[in-house]
Amino acid sequence: MTVSSYTERPIANTGAKADETDALSVPWSRPRPKRGRVSARVVSAVTILAVLAAWALSARLQLVSPVFLPSPAAVWIKFIAVVRDGFVDATLVQHIVASLGRVFAALVAAVIVGVPVGLAIGTSVIGRGIFDPLLEFLRPIPPLAYLPLVIIWFGIGEPSKILVIAIAMLAPVALSTASGVRGVSQERVNAARSLGATRAQVIRHVILPSALPSILTGLRIALGAGWSTLVAAELVAATRGLGFMIQSAAQFLVTDVVVMGILVIAAIAFVLEFIIRRLERALVPWAGRE
Amino acid sequence: MTHLVLDKVSVHYDGQPAVERVSIDVAKHDFVVLVGRSGCGKTSLLNVAAGLVEPVRGSATIGGRPITAPGSDRAVVFQNDALFPWLTARENVAFALRLRGALPAERTRRADELLRLVKLDGAGDKHIWELSGGMRQRVGLARALAAEPQFLLLDEPLGALDALTRERMQTTLLDLWTASHVGVLMVTHGIEEALVLATRIVVLAPGPGRVVRTFETGFSRRYAAGEPIRAIKADPAFAASRGELTDAIFEGEAA
Repeated sequence: MTVSSYTERPIANTGAKADETDALSVPWSRPRPKRGRVSARVVSAVTILAVLAAWALSARLQLVSPVFLPSPAAVWIKFIAVVRDGFVDATLVQHIVASLGRVFAALVAAVIVGVPVGLAIGTSVIGRGIFDPLLEFLRPIPPLAYLPLVIIWFGIGEPSKILVIAIAMLAPVALSTASGVRGVSQERVNAARSLGATRAQVIRHVILPSALPSILTGLRIALGAGWSTLVAAELVAATRGLGFMIQSAAQFLVTDVVVMGILVIAAIAFVLEFIIRRLERALVPWAGRE
Repeated sequence: MTHLVLDKVSVHYDGQPAVERVSIDVAKHDFVVLVGRSGCGKTSLLNVAAGLVEPVRGSATIGGRPITAPGSDRAVVFQNDALFPWLTARENVAFALRLRGALPAERTRRADELLRLVKLDGAGDKHIWELSGGMRQRVGLARALAAEPQFLLLDEPLGALDALTRERMQTTLLDLWTASHVGVLMVTHGIEEALVLATRIVVLAPGPGRVVRTFETGFSRRYAAGEPIRAIKADPAFAASRGELTDAIFEGEAA
């Protein structure tokens, strides 16, 4: 085998030479093959494996008490147990459904309010004057800061939880919509008007579809923001939900459930991101190709 | 007969005069072409006719009624086609019909008719990003015609195309003009293009924009009467007009 590959060497050499001349005469003809380079994906995979290994090793060597750091195996066993038997009166699926239900209810609310607000900011000076300062005020406040006020105003029921998440989602939805609206080409709007479109028709048939890629980006950011607000929203008087599950577990120092809950939250965030990116490709195939 | 009339129109941007007292009269069946160096206000005048820019002095009227806003009686085609990428070619053409609430079957029928007219039959289901520059501009023209305008306003519609496509599009434009009985007001940089297409050429000079000369030309009528475009361009009269027009455009400039 080795011998035969050696005999082929002259041919391979000519090939390499031809390649070089090609590259000199028409440098754009062919991208040079990237040899000896590693992709970021491989590095990421190795990093993740290294972290897992470090975790498993320190648990195995009992560097830290299992109360603080349960082993990966213990977390996995707990995961199976909670899937099957549940934790604090609900199975893992029920916790997940409760949390996803809240986040999506909040997303619907944030879209119903945020998209029109973004349209108002993007299309009218008065709209911008009214909503811009309000959003800029709301945006940097952490959910835990306004949670008490929301509870004072709306009680400890489900609406409060959804509202806390929706508030966190509102700014990304509205601001992305506004930036999409402001980016609509004036020629496109003028063309529609000269074809007889009224102001309302321009918004419905030109501005909204033009801004759709940006709106979807806003939804993606909002879902991330809303999902990360989950634990705060489920702090008070929840009986189900991933955030509630983690907090209950923390109170009894059931650390393996805490770690498992964190990993489940991360995994779901990853899946949501993936789904939305797929949705973007399906709904706005023209983005970046105009 | 309906006329599109700009009467002693002046346009200022931020107080700076861009166009001073320009008058242009486009009758239906006219093909009026505005030519001139950069900054002579060609596009400003077109935008006044479209209702996108308001003149500071003078009046713009269509059929005697003042132009105050864009309207489907004056469909505009821009240099960058301004098509809607979320719609197919057919849906783009049918846009004006959809705005009027036409039924889907009627929209499809009419759009396919217009696509055939611009020689794009079969491309109706294509997405905009799948079309070449010339094809996109054809879709833009068909879309404008679907609004059943009395006048077409063309802002350098062939400006972004390569030379060969451009030449072919010129005859397409003439075919459309004769088939659809619309008046055309067009802006271009191309001297030969102006001669091929126009029934009248208005030469503008910059600083601020004003009319320096108006030519009545007959080459496009000859094409409409059936003479091949190559024969027209080879005619010594064409070359002579070309020289005359070039002189007019650069008149007043140091030779």
